[in-house]
Amino acid sequence: MQLFIQSLLSGILIGGLYGIIAVGMTLNWGIMRVINLAHFSLTFLAAYITYQFSTVTGADPFLSLFITLPLFFVIGLVMQWFFETFQIEGFVSLLVTFGLFAIFESIMREIWTADLRTLPLDIVPYRVESFWIGPYALRKPQVGVFVAAIIVSAATWVFLNRTYIGKALRAISQDRVVAGAFGVNHRQLALLLGGMMGVYAAIAGAFIAVLFVLRPDGTVDFIGVIFAVVMLGGLGNTVGAFGAGVIIGVAQSLTSATIGPGFSPLVTFSLLILVLLFKPEGLFGRSATS
Amino acid sequence: MKWRALLGFIIVGLVLAYFPELRDMLGYPRYVLTFMYFAFFWTSLATSWNILTGYSGYFSFGHGAFYGVGVYTTAAIVTKTELPFLLTLPLAGVLASLLGLTVGFVVFRLPQLRGELFALLTLAVEFVVAAILFNLVDGGYGLSIGRVPYPDFLGDFSEMMFRLGLLIALLTVFAAYLVHHSRLGRGLFAIHDDEAVAEGLGVPTFRYKMMALGLSTFFAGLAGGLHAVQLSYVDIGGVFKLTVPLFVILMSLLGGRRHWLGPLIGAVIIHTFNDAFSDTRFQLLNDVATGGLLIAIILFMPEGIYERLRQRLIPAATLALLVVVIQALAIGGRITVQFAVMLLFVIALLMIPQRFYDTVIGRFVPSFESVKAKIRSGAEE
Repeated sequence: MQLFIQSLLSGILIGGLYGIIAVGMTLNWGIMRVINLAHFSLTFLAAYITYQFSTVTGADPFLSLFITLPLFFVIGLVMQWFFETFQIEGFVSLLVTFGLFAIFESIMREIWTADLRTLPLDIVPYRVESFWIGPYALRKPQVGVFVAAIIVSAATWVFLNRTYIGKALRAISQDRVVAGAFGVNHRQLALLLGGMMGVYAAIAGAFIAVLFVLRPDGTVDFIGVIFAVVMLGGLGNTVGAFGAGVIIGVAQSLTSATIGPGFSPLVTFSLLILVLLFKPEGLFGRSATS
Repeated sequence: MKWRALLGFIIVGLVLAYFPELRDMLGYPRYVLTFMYFAFFWTSLATSWNILTGYSGYFSFGHGAFYGVGVYTTAAIVTKTELPFLLTLPLAGVLASLLGLTVGFVVFRLPQLRGELFALLTLAVEFVVAAILFNLVDGGYGLSIGRVPYPDFLGDFSEMMFRLGLLIALLTVFAAYLVHHSRLGRGLFAIHDDEAVAEGLGVPTFRYKMMALGLSTFFAGLAGGLHAVQLSYVDIGGVFKLTVPLFVILMSLLGGRRHWLGPLIGAVIIHTFNDAFSDTRFQLLNDVATGGLLIAIILFMPEGIYERLRQRLIPAATLALLVVVIQALAIGGRITVQFAVMLLFVIALLMIPQRFYDTVIGRFVPSFESVKAKIRSGAEE
């Protein structure tokens, strides 16, 4: 029973990380109709840069956000500019970003080799520390990522629903042509959104560097999980993405604890298939953007 | 028409099957046989993928699942029983096909699962299959296939792989040819263009999609079953790598999806590149080029090489000949690398945008079609 509750708790917390990555995917997909597989690569690139920054300078990995946030804003913007210029969207975007994904992976393998990389404990001592609630441990970085996920998805929700630019973005997601007729500048907003994707990738990357052992093909572990989260949460629904992240996180950690770690991808992908089959609009609908 | 084609396939098959016997006479090194086996393997995979995706437009990212089922069927049976491995090949195909039909039976009934959602779903199927096989068959240790017994008339190991690979590739391409030229093929093309209209005009869309998927996955399983022996050690991470779906998609897109020959052309080209630049020093270059090529094709040559080649056959053939002669006389090197360099030049020529080509090269070099028309009209006079 104690094991059950413990894995439930850590599942909820790690769900926050899935939420942060999924928010980027779901906005790009829901609003710009770009299914960006390269988002996973950007996230891992950010994780590697965070790792590199910390091991070279010996500073706290989260200080690297001062570098990665602006850097990835620009990278995301450039990438979106590329999609805009060649009018890549929908199915074609899946193919093009598949190509980008392969390119990024080989570049990361070239720079950081296929070895497993992990931040040394003397730089991040809090990685193994925990908050204790009775007998249950809440690992500090996991709590951090959960809090960050709440902030990110709430801030995005406010941005989309309470600001003028956010309303314009939602207008695009409903009807691009009509929005254009009312003076919504699609191109500028797309570039802004691209930059935001980069920022989400940078934040998620910093946490991945602290929480996980890095390897260049580690992205593959996330693809299915994040797609499951995006579909479950509903396209373009940022709050839904967070909720779905928690659901998937719990499902994964409960499976690992009860049946065995080998079965956790099975459960995740079966969930994805079931959602696609029976509820393609997601558990939470597309309310946040439409 | 079909009998003539069958005869053509048989002749091509017999000529190629005799190729290993000519090794002493032609004096090519042994690795050419293995090189060609891999070309056959990728041809089978790409062509089988294209039977569903190229013809009907249902884009699958999960072809690796069916290939993987084939690999693991053969690997598991060969390591755990005494059954001869030749018998396991059809079984590998049938099991892969059963999996495909099960997926299709559910998925093709739901009209919302088109386009990117179908692609995602098939990708998820690949991961699910990998997870199931990991837990039930593999157990994390992988399977080692030692030497497998086979009939003597197939020759030594690389000759045997060459011949069996050739057989499977020919069967797959012939099936793709038959589908292309049959009622089924025309139905699938109609589904590709507009499924609702096709349904309205009386195309049995569900049945046709199931037939295409069944065929497609059968040949993927067959090719996978044979490939298990070539790999000799199989593990989940290696078999279910995303390179299989990536390459299969790349090959078919490069070659052209609306013609049965397209995936074959693409498979030969991509495999040649990969082999020629497989040196670890070029690993980064090779990977980046593979991804970049996929993007470049989608942006600049969406209809694939086959269509472009038909329009620019004469300049392409001239260029190819020129490059081959220059290399043979002046540079030398491995045969396969020379072949790759030649293909590189031809692809560069084919990728030139149509408008630019028409104003610069097309003005001086007549297209193959126009030469044919001229000869025909000359003969009539």
